[in-house]
Amino acid sequence: MPCAESLQVQAYVDGEVDALAAAAIERHMEQCAECRALHQDLLQLRSALRNDLPYTETPPALRARIMRALDKESAPASPARQRAHGIWRTRSFWLGAGSGLGSAAVAAALAFVLITAPFKSAVVDELLGAHVSSLMSSHLIDVVSTDKHTVKPWFAGHTDVSPVVADFEPQGYKLIGGRVDYLEHQRAAVVVYQHGAHVINVFSWADERQSLPGKATRNGYHFICWKTGDLDNCAVSDTAWDELQEMVRLVQGASALEQR
Amino acid sequence: MDDRRRRFEAQVLPYLDDAYRFARWLAGSPEGADDCVQEAMLRAYRGFDSLRGSDAKAWLLTIVRNCHATAFKQQQRRAQVPLPEEHDPLDGQALISAEPDPESASIRQDEARTLERLVARLPEEYREILILREVEDMDYRAIAAVANVPLGTVMSRLARARAALRKHWLQQVEGAPDAMR
Repeated sequence: MPCAESLQVQAYVDGEVDALAAAAIERHMEQCAECRALHQDLLQLRSALRNDLPYTETPPALRARIMRALDKESAPASPARQRAHGIWRTRSFWLGAGSGLGSAAVAAALAFVLITAPFKSAVVDELLGAHVSSLMSSHLIDVVSTDKHTVKPWFAGHTDVSPVVADFEPQGYKLIGGRVDYLEHQRAAVVVYQHGAHVINVFSWADERQSLPGKATRNGYHFICWKTGDLDNCAVSDTAWDELQEMVRLVQGASALEQR
Repeated sequence: MDDRRRRFEAQVLPYLDDAYRFARWLAGSPEGADDCVQEAMLRAYRGFDSLRGSDAKAWLLTIVRNCHATAFKQQQRRAQVPLPEEHDPLDGQALISAEPDPESASIRQDEARTLERLVARLPEEYREILILREVEDMDYRAIAAVANVPLGTVMSRLARARAALRKHWLQQVEGAPDAMR
């Protein structure tokens, strides 16, 4: 049975503790022979690993190959297609890369993207990217709260816009927090709702005087955009259409109340 | 060169070597590592907008890991990193190395190979965390993000990986007393 402090000793060796904790661990090691030995072992192992494991560098041929691939990617052929196959779609890209069937699927998806999003696709691309990365990373929520009186003032200090914040839990759309994302070169307020197992991000940002797509579906995510005064809004989720529609109706209703 | 490409080269490209090293430790073959890194750099470039000022190195290594996982699923189990054979011709280099004492140099070379082989034999979920800590010098939080596990799991896997490595290493070098520390 190792000493209960052994993980602390490891954290100390890894530089993961603050000065106060470090002092406590040093005191403990004076008392505990086992941890003293562990400390020595960890240092020895570290120096052995750092000396002996090869510190490989990228072979020049591979580096050149990658730069060529990036050149091809940077070619101005079709920026929409590159973005549409951004990080969130790469699984299918990678699977498809090897097989003809997959390539056909990628081609079909491209055709779909190009046909369905001729206008204002940049906004949808940005929204899609923001939505998917919010689901992937730990950055879904900056301010965790189910209370609109907490979330709304928080936005005041973090964005240039004041979005509608309301909890629609009785209707099945639970407010879970807020976040700031960069969108159209500005800070957009994002109100995050939970509907069943789905996350709905409602983005609001200052109007750029451009037309919004209204409705769109991209990569299986639905987008509903609308304007309120000088704000552009867009709700994004993988819920069913009518469920997202209902969410938008609720937000628009709350916004009408606010403006009264 | 457009602005996006320039930013990518400034923010992400400096970590190419890290990505390559990590891929070498994950992948089943040097070619596998090459493909994995190339695919990861392309994915990173396409998804560059999602980086948004977060830790670029951790972000890139996460993509490498995802690429590896997808490729690995495809080709089903070729788990170990191939290491140089015990008596491959490169061993000769130790004998003609510039180190002062040729004999101790060759012993050191053996020792290094042993350690490398032992690390390669660790189960992947332990190996990746050890490599991220000791080779890539990342902190627990970044490791947790790359490996997609909680902080506590990073700590416990790290502790077990180190304990196992040390134990096997001592066993290996026991037969060669000169090589012992």
